[in-house]
Amino acid sequence: MLSFENVTAGYGDTAIVRDVSLVVPPGEIVGLVGPNGAGKSTLLRAITGSADVHRGSLTLNGTSLANMNARDRARSVGVVPQSVEATFSFSAREFVLMGRHVRMTRFGTASAHDHDVVQEMLELTDTAYLADDPVDTLSGGDLQRLALAQALAQEPDVLLLDEATSHLDLNHRLQVLNLVRRLADEGKAVLAVFHDLDLAARYTDRLAVVHEGGIFSAGGPSDVLTPAMLRSVFGVRAVVGADPVTGSLSVTPVLREQDVPPESQGSVFIAAGGGAGSHLMGLLALEGFSVSAGVLNHGDMDREVAASLMVTRVDLTAYDTPPEEIRTQVLDMARKADARVVFAVPYGPANLANLEAAAAAEGPLVLVGTWSEELDFTHGEATKLWRSLQADSIQVTDARRALAAVRGLVHSEP
Amino acid sequence: MVDQSRARSVTVITALFAVLLVAIVAGVGLGAVSVGPTEVFAAIGRALSGESGPVSDAVIIDLRLPRVLLAALVGACLASAGVLYQAIFRNPLADPYILGVSSGAGLGAIIAIVSTTTATGLRYGLVPAGAFAGALATILVVVRLASRRGRLETTSLLLAGVAISYILAALTSFIMVLFRQSMASVVFWMMGGLTSASWRYVGMIAPMFVIGVVVPLLYTRQLNIMLLGDERASQLGIEVERFKRITLAFASLLVAAAVSVSGLIGFIGLMTPHIVRLILGPDHRLLLPASTLAGASIMVFADLLARTALAPIEVPVGIVTALLGGPFFIWLLVRREGVR
Repeated sequence: MLSFENVTAGYGDTAIVRDVSLVVPPGEIVGLVGPNGAGKSTLLRAITGSADVHRGSLTLNGTSLANMNARDRARSVGVVPQSVEATFSFSAREFVLMGRHVRMTRFGTASAHDHDVVQEMLELTDTAYLADDPVDTLSGGDLQRLALAQALAQEPDVLLLDEATSHLDLNHRLQVLNLVRRLADEGKAVLAVFHDLDLAARYTDRLAVVHEGGIFSAGGPSDVLTPAMLRSVFGVRAVVGADPVTGSLSVTPVLREQDVPPESQGSVFIAAGGGAGSHLMGLLALEGFSVSAGVLNHGDMDREVAASLMVTRVDLTAYDTPPEEIRTQVLDMARKADARVVFAVPYGPANLANLEAAAAAEGPLVLVGTWSEELDFTHGEATKLWRSLQADSIQVTDARRALAAVRGLVHSEP
Repeated sequence: MVDQSRARSVTVITALFAVLLVAIVAGVGLGAVSVGPTEVFAAIGRALSGESGPVSDAVIIDLRLPRVLLAALVGACLASAGVLYQAIFRNPLADPYILGVSSGAGLGAIIAIVSTTTATGLRYGLVPAGAFAGALATILVVVRLASRRGRLETTSLLLAGVAISYILAALTSFIMVLFRQSMASVVFWMMGGLTSASWRYVGMIAPMFVIGVVVPLLYTRQLNIMLLGDERASQLGIEVERFKRITLAFASLLVAAAVSVSGLIGFIGLMTPHIVRLILGPDHRLLLPASTLAGASIMVFADLLARTALAPIEVPVGIVTALLGGPFFIWLLVRREGVR
């Protein structure tokens, strides 16, 4: 078990990470995520002795890592660095064999067993076909996998990955992470820095968010990867959803906090659903409009996007007609808005309230898309309302044109 | 595969030993009075068995042989020191001369020479000691100057080496002016000469060479790993700072051995490892012994050239190596620029 207890670490007298507590038990992959310069790599380097531990205790199975010499440490901890220096023409096999250094006697030579281990690691990392190639001719991705093979040749209990898949193509990224997952399941403790949040969510057991030199939050991926965290740590408004294939969390960044104009450009009410309004919500937020979206159902893509963009809305769990006070709330949103945008999407008893509110309010109106009877799940009510709206509105086909229309309508107002 | 590379190493080392033997026989045989290889072996045989031989034996045994062996030792010391510096600094441009270590050893040796006017026996111990102290102090200062936040940049390393060389050269000149009476011999020694070679010199630096090269030969695996960079080497289990200090101490011992008997001889430490690496690859298990042997041969040939090219005038061997090595260094620099 690798354990940080109130660790403050850095370089020389400068502390980069402060008061960090974190444990990595055998069998687990713990991911470190966070913005560049937050201190993720420094945490790894504190373990390997490349950064100085100023305060607190950093232990491996109860033994302080600070008191370990390089040789003992390398027997327990293997590292896959972000990039690998290979300016000398050793063969890939000799390169991986260097990982056996700590398992050989000081002046001894490689035994048959050492060569067997090297061969095994080459095969595990799918690099056996490179064995006789000089490493200075290989790509960054090949080198990264060879560095993993080299680290595994040390036969460590703990594996540290510093963005170990950054140079890998899609195929090898999955191959390496599946391998790491398997190694963890077989009992290795893995601490890995991730930049790709989706991969982090998919492969880690626990995540720690490193922000400004401290742990911002830690826990299971679904507890940690929240729109609120992404906003305060990464400065990004993002949608967090479940990946339909893997079932793990998927983070879609929508816009950067600093791209949102500080002054409001006006307000817009949107009647949409089923993901139809997502694009326009993003575009409007980026231009500095404050957006409201009436009622939205849980599980609706538009609701997730609205949540990440902090769009004013009422979340519904049922598909029935919402109660009177919610309908009033929605009407209030529509009335306060400088412009209304209504999408041709399926309307049922629940989101009919949005259409009603848009119709009841006054002022500039944009209709997006073409109406069809098939969109009406309200026995003609929605169709009637849409028709009534058509008279005094601008009709467009997509979100970009809707944005242009809104811009024109709002800014032409006195 | 493993046996194959071992067989290759054995072949290479054997071949290099053969080349060195040829160089030594040629070096001993050729000169103002030339003798054939058989005569060389015969004379050595007679000397070993204590038989009396012709007058030419004295030339061979007392003059040529110690000189050639000294040249071989000096070449071996400089080349192996070059390998060590290049490994520690991960820089093919590092060599004792360019890093200023030779100049430091030179200054240390000169201070020892001018400060010991008494028994020469004392001098023999003091000159190498002075050279060693000078070499070690210089490399520590150069590394300190060239480090920026724990990183050693190639450019700053070379600049620091050159700058320190200038300062040391100025100090050396200053000392020479102060001790004018011994200037001529010191100047000739400084230019890199083997003229005063004797068995006594051979006996003095042979142990320094053996110590200086045998210990690093035990650490060739670590030297290989150092090529991956300090941080990676540490992750793979090497106590990097300690390893560097030890290696630099042995390299400095080798430089001190060479400088204390032959003054400043440049470029052997740069050229030899580089050529050997180009041909044999970066593996120190082969690179270090092969460079040591190649450096010995190159130096013996260079000294032969220095003695015979303008006979009866003898050119200091340092001039020969600089004339050969200078253009080679420029070629290296240009080639590196081209690659970038």
